[in-house]
Amino acid sequence: MGDITLTINDAPVTGQDGMTILEVARENGVDIPTMCYLKELSPIGACRLCVVEVEGSRNLVGSCHTPITEGMVIQTHSPRVVTARRMVVELMMANHPDNCLVCDAANQCELRQVAADLDVGLPSFKLKKHYYPIEDISPYLVRDLGKCILCQRCIRACDEIAKQKVFNLAYRGFDCKVIVDLDQPVDKEVCRDCDVCVSVCPTVALRKPKKQGEEKKGPPLILSQ
Amino acid sequence: MEPVKVDEIIDKYPAQSSVLIQLLLDIQGEFSWIPREAIQCVSERLNIPLSQIYRVASFYKAMSLTPRGRHVVNVCLGTACHVRGATRIIDKVEDSLGIKTGETTEDMQFTLQRVNCLGCCALGPVMLVDKDYHGKMTPAKVAAVLKDYD
Ligand code: SF4
Ligand code: SF4
Ligand code: FES
Ligand code: FES
Repeated sequence: MGDITLTINDAPVTGQDGMTILEVARENGVDIPTMCYLKELSPIGACRLCVVEVEGSRNLVGSCHTPITEGMVIQTHSPRVVTARRMVVELMMANHPDNCLVCDAANQCELRQVAADLDVGLPSFKLKKHYYPIEDISPYLVRDLGKCILCQRCIRACDEIAKQKVFNLAYRGFDCKVIVDLDQPVDKEVCRDCDVCVSVCPTVALRKPKKQGEEKKGPPLILSQ
Repeated sequence: MEPVKVDEIIDKYPAQSSVLIQLLLDIQGEFSWIPREAIQCVSERLNIPLSQIYRVASFYKAMSLTPRGRHVVNVCLGTACHVRGATRIIDKVEDSLGIKTGETTEDMQFTLQRVNCLGCCALGPVMLVDKDYHGKMTPAKVAAVLKDYD
């Protein structure tokens, strides 16, 4: 377990063998935005939001899953990186239902947060959107796949933390979606008393059912803080 | 679908998840599609979650999750065939069979699909029926070719 020295944004830093670029950056106070990554889950490099520029590498690399090596020279906020990140988020926003205004998650939504942070604004192009029926037959879990951004956090959290394997990814391309069993609406008894996947979903593609009489959410978070 | 057949196929392989793709291809070969019941059998016997098997089956083009006709018609719409008028061929096939691309006729005789290059561009426009290549196709030839498979 040797120390590895590298350069992040022109400053020399050190990290341990086996650490990822993201871990070293965060340890040194450099904030790289992430979406599919959560430190509790195994990294899969699905969303490309965390890309950085590494000297000598033709392509941008995903910092959440790339281990550090000796002498790496990294730029985390170069113009090229920022442009790429904006495009990633813009693409996610472009096929996301545009009902943020009346969305339950508005104040907690990580997608919206990251779009605001990166100054993405309204998408400059229109993409096909997904129209999936809301799955609300389970008393424990509601899925609204129209809002799913395919970060796969729920798949990994259910597998790795809840130790169930309720979700999986299926189909390909535009049709790609998170499925349950043989692509059936979620309705599993194992979800009783578990909300692991709900707690990791960055949007409200997954949520707990609302109870009768509790529909009102109270003042926006910003006022109650 | 006969569950016995599925069991026979599963018996041919060691009960481990690494054989999944080969197993599914065999099931596809036997029934010319992968019925939900077959996935259920595989899941129980190999102890793999249903969704994991469905994931594989829905990913590969070689596997179908909907019943397919006795004959599968693939019309090439790759670049070379496209510029030689392949769209007119596929339109003609759709018309003659009365189905859209991706669908199967009611009598389960034909399934129509499009592909993007069959690797014999010089013969374009190409139409593949089961394992037979029909090159230099014209809309006028479509009916005659299909008739051979009725
Ligand atoms: S509620 Fe728990 S068991 Fe159910 S899908 Fe979510 S993580 Fe898995
Ligand atoms: S349902 Fe939520 S957690 Fe799961 S992949 Fe979609 S956005 Fe991610
Ligand atoms: S956070 Fe690294 S690829 Fe998604
Ligand atoms: S484009 Fe049709 S065979 Fe290549």
